[in-house]
Formats: sequence, structure tokens, C-alpha cells
Amino acid sequence: MKSKRSVITVVLMALAITLSQAQEIKVPLRFDSYYSYEKMVEALKALNTAYPELTKLDQVGKSEEGRIIWALTINNPKTGEPLTKPGVYADGNIHGNEIQAGEVCLYLADRLLTNYGKLKDITGVVDRNVFYIIPVVNVDGRAHFFDDANTPNSNRGLRIPVDDDRDGLFDEDGPEDLDGDGNITTMRIRDTLGRLKTDPEDKRLMVPVKPGEKGEWTRLGQEGIDNDGDGRINEDPEGYVDGNRNWGYNWNPPYAQDGSGNYPFEGTGIKAIAEWMLARPNIIMVFAFHNSGGMYLRGPSFKAEGEMPQGDVSVFNYLGKNIEKIVPGYKYLISWKDLYPTYGDFTDFADNLIGAYSLTGELYQVETETFDGTPKRKEEENARFEESGETDRQRLLFNDRVTQGELYKEWKPYKHPAYGEIELGGWVKMSSRLPPPFMLQDLVHRNASAVIFAAQNTPDVKMDVFEVKKMEKDLWRIRVRLVNKGAMPSVTYMTVKHKLYPMDMLSVSGPDAKVAGGGKINDIYLNLIDYKEYKPEMQFCQVPGQGKVEYQFLVNGKGNIDIKFESRKAGTITQSVPLQAKPATSGKASDGDKL
Amino acid sequence: MRITQFTLRRSLLLLLAAVFITPWQASAIEKYSDPATVNKRIEQIRQSADGRIRVNKLAVTPGGTDMLMIEIGKSGAGVPAVLVAANLSGTVPAATEAALSLASRIAADASLSSALTWYIVPMGNPDAYSRWFSKPLYLDPGNATPFNDDKDDKTDEDGYNDLDGNGIITQMRVKTPDGTLIPVAGEPRLMRKADPVKGETGIYKLYSEGIDDDGDGQYNEDPPGGTNVNVNFPHLFRSFDTRSGLYPGSAPESGALLKFAFAHPEIAMVFSFGSTNFLLSPPQGGRKGEADMDKIKIPEEIGGMMGLDVSRTYTMAEIMEAVQPMLPPGMTIDEGQVASFLGLGAIVNPMQEDLAFYNEISSDYKDYLKKKGVTGERFDPAQPEDGSFELWGYYHLGVPVFSMDIWGLPKPKEEKKDASGITLESLEKMSTDDFLALGEDKVSAFLKERNAPEQYNAKMVIGMVKSGQVTPAQMAGMMKQMPAPKADEKKGDPKELASLAFSDKWLEGKGFTAWKTYKHPTLGEVEIGGFTPFVDNTPPAAMIDSLLDLQLPYVFELVKRLPALQFSETKLTEKGGGVYQLEAWVTNEGYLPFPTAMGKRNKIPTPAVITLTGDGIEILSGKKRTPLTEMGGKKSARYIWLVRAPKKGAITLQLESKQAGTDSKQINIGG
Repeated sequence: MKSKRSVITVVLMALAITLSQAQEIKVPLRFDSYYSYEKMVEALKALNTAYPELTKLDQVGKSEEGRIIWALTINNPKTGEPLTKPGVYADGNIHGNEIQAGEVCLYLADRLLTNYGKLKDITGVVDRNVFYIIPVVNVDGRAHFFDDANTPNSNRGLRIPVDDDRDGLFDEDGPEDLDGDGNITTMRIRDTLGRLKTDPEDKRLMVPVKPGEKGEWTRLGQEGIDNDGDGRINEDPEGYVDGNRNWGYNWNPPYAQDGSGNYPFEGTGIKAIAEWMLARPNIIMVFAFHNSGGMYLRGPSFKAEGEMPQGDVSVFNYLGKNIEKIVPGYKYLISWKDLYPTYGDFTDFADNLIGAYSLTGELYQVETETFDGTPKRKEEENARFEESGETDRQRLLFNDRVTQGELYKEWKPYKHPAYGEIELGGWVKMSSRLPPPFMLQDLVHRNASAVIFAAQNTPDVKMDVFEVKKMEKDLWRIRVRLVNKGAMPSVTYMTVKHKLYPMDMLSVSGPDAKVAGGGKINDIYLNLIDYKEYKPEMQFCQVPGQGKVEYQFLVNGKGNIDIKFESRKAGTITQSVPLQAKPATSGKASDGDKL
Repeated sequence: MRITQFTLRRSLLLLLAAVFITPWQASAIEKYSDPATVNKRIEQIRQSADGRIRVNKLAVTPGGTDMLMIEIGKSGAGVPAVLVAANLSGTVPAATEAALSLASRIAADASLSSALTWYIVPMGNPDAYSRWFSKPLYLDPGNATPFNDDKDDKTDEDGYNDLDGNGIITQMRVKTPDGTLIPVAGEPRLMRKADPVKGETGIYKLYSEGIDDDGDGQYNEDPPGGTNVNVNFPHLFRSFDTRSGLYPGSAPESGALLKFAFAHPEIAMVFSFGSTNFLLSPPQGGRKGEADMDKIKIPEEIGGMMGLDVSRTYTMAEIMEAVQPMLPPGMTIDEGQVASFLGLGAIVNPMQEDLAFYNEISSDYKDYLKKKGVTGERFDPAQPEDGSFELWGYYHLGVPVFSMDIWGLPKPKEEKKDASGITLESLEKMSTDDFLALGEDKVSAFLKERNAPEQYNAKMVIGMVKSGQVTPAQMAGMMKQMPAPKADEKKGDPKELASLAFSDKWLEGKGFTAWKTYKHPTLGEVEIGGFTPFVDNTPPAAMIDSLLDLQLPYVFELVKRLPALQFSETKLTEKGGGVYQLEAWVTNEGYLPFPTAMGKRNKIPTPAVITLTGDGIEILSGKKRTPLTEMGGKKSARYIWLVRAPKKGAITLQLESKQAGTDSKQINIGG
């Protein structure tokens, strides 16, 4: 009957709606699984919807395949507009396979928003700063990593076609998921003349054959076929353009820097992010999350650049040493020295062209995957690529007994069109560089805490007009102190060295006043003032991290004057000071009429 | 037959028509065209050969002008292309005229674009170029992007000021106790550095014309603008100069060219019309900081990892050999990846093999000029700047790049004020007797003029010639190798003297403003005067036509040298049982190699591909698609396949390349 059918329809529809809502992302977000690109976008929108006053969601730009790169801005409008505060920027996943970087950024946003107003430290750090969070830089890479079959390392680059094998065809020979299991694993073939044999300790592994011994296996390489008939397999997959070599500071072409693209900012998404950041000159702290290895790296990225100014190195050392404790096991290192030199990377761009302090966080240490609970450093063994060692055995035990076989795919026979009877097996894509979901929560919390710690150390400048002294008739001596509680200076030393932008400005003005002289107080006890020859009413300064700077002005006039401190990174402070006697407060007592 | 008046008149008319409506009109250029007019002329060129010519808008400058590109030619598969960019610094008006004229000539003669596509950009920096047409006149290569040169609280707040109201920005000289300049004796318009060693005391300090608009003690330190498009390219980019731009390609003009070049891999040659001249002065080496590929030092940090000894050097080949076994089977890496991993950096000096053809072409060009009757000497062209378009073209695109500066300030003919009366040219032609007849005094004076080392005194040299040890011609040859004698600095800077000479002769003296006193608000009593901007790099418009008639035809000579790959021969040998051996020789008929040595190194030029197809043909040995990555000029290579053709048929060999030509051959087989 009609009415009964319509009732059933209505009920079914209601059920469908409830079910879909059950799958909908809720805030606080969950971090017991990984977010695909689409789910990541939903999560950001959910945060924005849940906290409309504190957040703003921006479309930064589009990728090569047209996916949107999203940015979440967290700012308390009651404490000021974003550009008036120090900017803390965090992004992740510039390499498409390094997905947990996205979760770290998402967790950071979730942690800040869900605890705002509840935890004093969180409230404080949000009120004083503005957070700019781009969880996924390489949106195409992340999407393909989830949707396609991959190894833990593949789908790293941008989707810009490059003829890697120089045969006139572009991206024509990538891997194939021959057995359709969603992973690109390894192919091996039985070979009595092969250099490998089954590991007696774990038959899933292969060890080198000793001289005189009979061989068992030859490793054929990555799962796939020879698409272009050139005798090589999988030699020309997507790209290769590495998003983290395509930035405009010290860029070098591909023959000198593999994967750098044809010219700086060839990547549409990379260019969009650069422009978005340059439009936010208040950014002073930058975190870029990657995997893996367990490191926090600072620049410079290549040796010839020379060491950074000592003032900046001190800031990095302070942050780095503390972060090593926030994320135990991770090491604070120098990029070119402790890793390898790179040109055109993001941290060099951020340090030199934005004037920020940037750190690359390489998330996750695979050494922590052991059955016996003691992380073993891989360097202790000189295992070559194709040979298995003790670390692999431990990892397999971990795979068996702690993840119930999730990480490793057992060898299974397969009939290959060219090689015949082979076997496929190996570590699956959601392994090796990614923490298994049960370890994800710890990773995201600790690394987000590193960002929060740095945010607590952005420049925090206060102005103290500590002396207004009448010298004679209408001539006044004004002494101003700028104090910075944060570990970071109000301008980086690198910025001052390169003259990237004007330094911070301390200016004095008044409708009925003129500054006759002014300068930096080098020694307040000995009254050593470094007087500025021209335009003393406009002083250029830098307030050191956890330090102060003092200025003296000689002002001729009456009424009120405005003293203004303007900094790109540390905001603007204005104080109106009446020209009337005010005794010296903190600092040194005045000593007569000495100018 | 009687010729009627009618037919006579008609023939006369036809004759006149033929004279006036010739395909290429010699337009008498009376003045340079400002940016708006340039774009109008571009449109006219497009209309003159409608259909064959397209005009693309590459970018809009920060100042709001369209930067246009003229595209002439087929622009199809396998057709190589030439990219011509002019006046990227905006300070070389003649370069823009040259590009427009080049486009007109190509438009008028279809044969010039039948097998070649031309991409011509007459204005590489329209914003800066517009200053040539503005008052007051001054030279600044920045585009219109505001830029805070002096890093104070304001942007573009202290530019030049035309204090004497003559429409040009010259200089101010001020008498001050700490002055370093004194006037040149005999030429009071010029000044030179006082030499305290000779007991001279400086008098003047020099400023550019203007006031201290922002009261910071500096003069004209923050004029309007901007980025110099011609130093905004990625090779040797200088990050923090006032006119370099924030990053390579940050200016829309250069950004557009970068994008265009890589979207058009058919570009086989690049021309830059500007301040440099690779034809007169091939690209120079001598830059430091380049890794020697035969003496690579492994960084300490990496040595252990790679199992290599950090205390010795390796060749690239040795490193590749050592690294290969460490890789998983099936994985290969190339030299670029190794260089990249080791942080060896970029190539900064031209490759030797490329210099060989640059030098040869330079000789040929100088012969060409001689044949055209160019006898006078000119000052050397500028050397390419770091971050420039012409360097980027050579090092990053990996194609031959040629540059022309159209005109150079002429060197005034040397009046024989030299006491000796001997020049290198006359020495070359002298016989031994002539030389000995000169006498000791003259020879001594000559040796002094040539800055000969002390020990070669006149007596010794005369003795050598007398004994037959050396001929005058040989002596001239040796002296040519030595550094040229320094101009007598007391006379003033040679280029400034030449500019004055040129101004006096050709510009009615308008190239220099005589020093005149002026009361300056902060500097007190000053004198305003000096050279008119552009006098040493821009000839009067009336000279342009003849200059272009001289220079531009050589462009067409250069494109004739482009590499051209062809099948020169094929050979089919029957092996029995339907099995055949196919050999094909591919020759590069062009003079230039494909690609340049730099192109080989940076692996940017797209490889050519030889494809073998045939119905029923089975390839036993060799590949269906064989990439061809390099072929020297006038060189050949042999390609060989083994095929099986069970029945009668035909094999088609196809040679396809973006930059270096296409060809195909059909070979009958079987039966």
C-alpha cells in the first residue's frame, strides 16, 4: 500500500542520514587512524565549524591535479588581528608519502582549539600568537598515496611530468600492483646462482650467500612490469619533482639538485604557499613535518652558505635541546652537516626570505619497532639494501606479535608476464616510515607539543617608559626600555645581516614636540648613548631574545608625545606620554643634567 | 608599336608601386617608440602577414603594460624554434628597435619562418624602458614594483630631483675637505681620482642630482622601483641586491619567460638583445666555486656512509662505480643524482667544447664586420651579469645563446701623439731594415709606450733584430699577447673621453651638461653637470637603420648553423631465414652540436627518438624506440637492428626531435 511504502521510505531515509552522520567527523578529532586527503579536508572544516570565532579556513591554492591546499588560521580576534601578532606556522606532507605529518598538524589545531579556555598555557599561547596550519602541502601526493598501491617511499613528489629515463616519454613506466593487494612490494625469483638465500632465522628474510654456498634467490626489484619495453622496470614513475627542492632560495637545476624542477616555484601548490606566507610577514616560527628518522633539523641546507649568525644559532639551540626532551629519541641536528646538502628547500626559504626560525621535523623512528622494546640504531649494522639484518628480524617479530601481521606481506607466488614464476612479498605501504595507528597518538601529541613550546617563545615585547625628566624649559629627556620575554628576538639576526626588510622601528612624535636628539643607550651607568645623526625621532632596533634594549630621546616641546614600537613579528605597541616630570623608575637613577 | 602615354604612365606607376610597396619597408626611424607605441607596432607587424603571425601576451608588468611576444612560423611538431628577448634591463632602447626590425624582416620574408618558429619579445622590461621617454631622464633597470632600497620606514621616497630643470638627471659635485676627485688636466668637464702618492689632494665629492627627500643624510638612495628583469633569472641569482627581486622569476616578466621556455622544448637557440655581445666577446670563464668533476672530494659527513676515502679525490666515474653495487638491483642513479647528493653545486664556467664554437663564430663575425666595411674600434661590450637571461639560457636551457648589443661607443681614432710614431700594425708590416732605420730613441719610446719589461731596452731589442733572432712581425705578434698598455690615467677615463668625443661630434655636445653652480639646500654651493644618461649605450635614432642593416642579417647566418639530424644512409643485409640486419646512419648536418656540452651536462634538451615500425616486422635485437641524446656538429652515428620479416613489406624508420629536426626513411624488405 502506498502509505505503508512511504513510511518505510521515510524510515529508511532517516536511517541513512543517521548512519552517514555516524561516519561524520566529530570534534575533538580522533587520532587512532590516518586521514585520507578527503577526510583531512572534512576534519579541517569540522574544526572551523566547531570554533568559528577562533578559526579561519583558507584556500591557499591548487595543486597540479586541481586539488585544494587548505590552511587553518587560529587567532583570538579579541587580542588582536593576526598580522599584529607573532606568526607560528606549521605544515606537513610536502612529500606525498610522509602522511603522519598531516596528522601532527591536525592534532596541533585540535589540541589548541579543544583546550582553549581550559588549560591556561594553551589559552595564553593562542591569545599571544597566531597559528597558521597547512596540514597537507602535497595534496596530490597524499591522495595518490592513499588511493593507489604504493611502497612506503613512493608518491613522494609533485605531479609534474618529467622524462626521468630520457627516452622522450613522460612518466610512462611506474610500478604496478600485480596482485592487487594495495601495496607495491618486492619481486624475487628462484635462482641457484643468486646472491641471496632464505634467512635461517626468519624465512621471510633473505641473507647474502657465503662464498661456495648455493644461491637461492635473486631480488628482481619493485613490483611492476616494463611498460615501455626498454629493459628496465618502473624507472619512470610520476615526476620526479621534489616539492622540497623547488623553493626560490639558492635553487639549483636538476643536474645539481635532483628533483628540483625546471625553475623555482614551478610547482603550482608550492608557489601558492610561498605567496601565502609572504603575505604574512609576521611569521617568525616555522615547522615543516616530514618522515622519518626522528630528527629536528635546522639550516643552513648547504655548506657554502656558511654558518648562521650566532644570535640565531643560540635560539635554535635553545629550541632544539628542549625539543629533544619533549620527543625523546629525536635528535636536534644541522641539515647540511648531519644529513646531506640540499638546494632550494623550504627551510632555507623560510629562514632567509621570510625571516623566520624554521625546523624540519622528521617524524618516527622505525627502530622503536622491536619485540624486545629496545630501539636499535640501524647504523650499527652495515646492512646493504638487499640484505636483511637483526633490525629486520626484530621488526618482523614486532609485526607478528605486536601488530598481528599488519606490516609485512608474506611471500606469495605470482606469474609474471616477463619473468615467469616469481614471488611477491615485503613491507606494506602503511609501514616502515609510519607509526602503526596505536603509536600515532603518542607521536602526534609529543610533536605538537614541540610546536607549542616554540610558540611560547616567540617574541613578547613590552614597553617601559622609565624616565621622563625635565632638562630645562621645554627640553625633556625620555628613556624607553623594550623588554622581550620570548627566546626569539623581535627580528632574526639573519634578517638584519641580509637587510631583508627594515628593522623594527621605535618612533617618537607629538603635535607640539620635536625630537632634538636620540639614540641607543649602550651603557646606562656611564651614559653612553649612540646618537643617530639624522631623523633621531625614528630609531631602528632589534629587541634580543630574553633581553632588552634601551633608547634615549631628547624632546623639545609640550603636551603629549606618542612613543611607538613597530615590529613585523612582535606587533605594535604605542604609549602616550605626557611631557611632565616622572621620576626614574626601574633601571638606573638619573645623574644630573648629563645628556 | 607606339607606346602610348597611357601605357607609359601605367608602367611608371607600376614601377613606383614596386619601389614603394616592397615587402619590407625601410622605415626611417626618427625616434625610438615608447612602450605603448611598441605594442602598437607589434600589432601592425601581426597584421602585415595575417595568419602567419600570432601575438601572445606573456605578462602584465607591475606598471600595467602588456609584455608581448611575436610568434612567427609554423609552430608544429618537429619544427625547431628560436627565442629572441630584447631589452630585459629596460636600459637599451636600441635593443627593442632591433627586435621589432627583426620581426618585420621575418614577417616580410616567408622563407625565414618556413622551417623555423620565431618567438620574439621586443620589450623585456617595459616599465624600466618607459624611463627613456620620461622627464627627467635617468637610467634605472627596475620595473615598477615598489621596493624599499634603504630599508627605512618608507618606500621609494627618495628619488632623483632635476634641480637645474634641464630635463635630465646628471650629477652634483661639491667642494669638501674629504673630497677625492680632481679635474682632468686639459679636459675640465671630466674628473679623476686624486693620487696622494703623487702629492695630489682631492677637491670634490660626487653625488647624483637631487636633494635628500627623506632627510636621512643620503641622497637619492631610494628611487622608485623595482626589479631588474635581467638579473631575475635562476643562474647565479643574487638574493639580496636592491634590484634583484626576492627570488628568481619573482618579476612577472621573467617568471613568464621561464614558464614559456620550458613549455616550449622546441627552442633550439636563444638570442638576447641588450648590453652584452657574445659574438664579439664569447662567454667568459674564470669564476670560482665550481666543483672539478675529475677531482671530487667526498664530504666527511658522507664518506663513511659511502665507504669512500675522504682524504683523496675521485673522478665522477670512480664514484659511480663505487656506488652502483650499493644500490638494490634494477635501480640506477645518474651523475646528476650523485652530484646532487654530494652537494657539488652548479656549473659556473662555460664548457670547453662550447667555447670552441663560440670562439669560431666570434672570428667569423669579426670577418663579417670587416667585409661590411666596419673599420673603427669600439669599446668592449659589458659582461653578462649574475642572474642574467643570457647566462640562464646557456646554463639552464642548455642551448646555444647569442647576444648582441647593436651599438658600442666608438673609440676615438688615436692621434699619433705617441713620440715613437710606431704602432703594432706598422710594426707588423716593417722589414728588418725599416726597423733598424728607426733609431734608438724611437724604439726606446715605443717600448715605453708598450709597457715593455725593464730588461728589454732599445739596445738589446735592436741587437736581436739585427742578428736575425726576431723579426719585427714576430715582435708585434709577441706584443699582442701581452696585456695592452694602460691608458694614461692623467688624461681621464678613456670611456668618458670617448663619450665626450661622441657627444661633441654627433650630439651637438648634448651628451654632457657643463658644470654650473647651484645653491643646494643642504650641501651648500654645488655644481651641477655631467653626462646625459644613455649617452654611452644608445645611439641617436637616425643611426638605428644602418646599425640594424649591419647587425641583423648575421642573426640569419647564425640560425643556419642549427643542428639538423638526418638519416644519411641506410643498409639492409639479408642474414637468411627472413632475418635481416638493418643499419642506419644518422648525421647532424648542422654546424652546432646537439645539444651543447652544457645541454649534455644539464640533460634538459629533449632527446631525439628513432622509431622503427613495420607491418609484420619482428625486432630481434635493438629497440623499437631508440633515444638519441647527443650528436656533435657534422658528426654521424650508426644504429643497428636485427629484424625478422617473414613476408614482403616495408620498414619505416622515423627520426623525431623537438629541436634538431625530423626525418624518415622507408626501406623495402623481404620477398
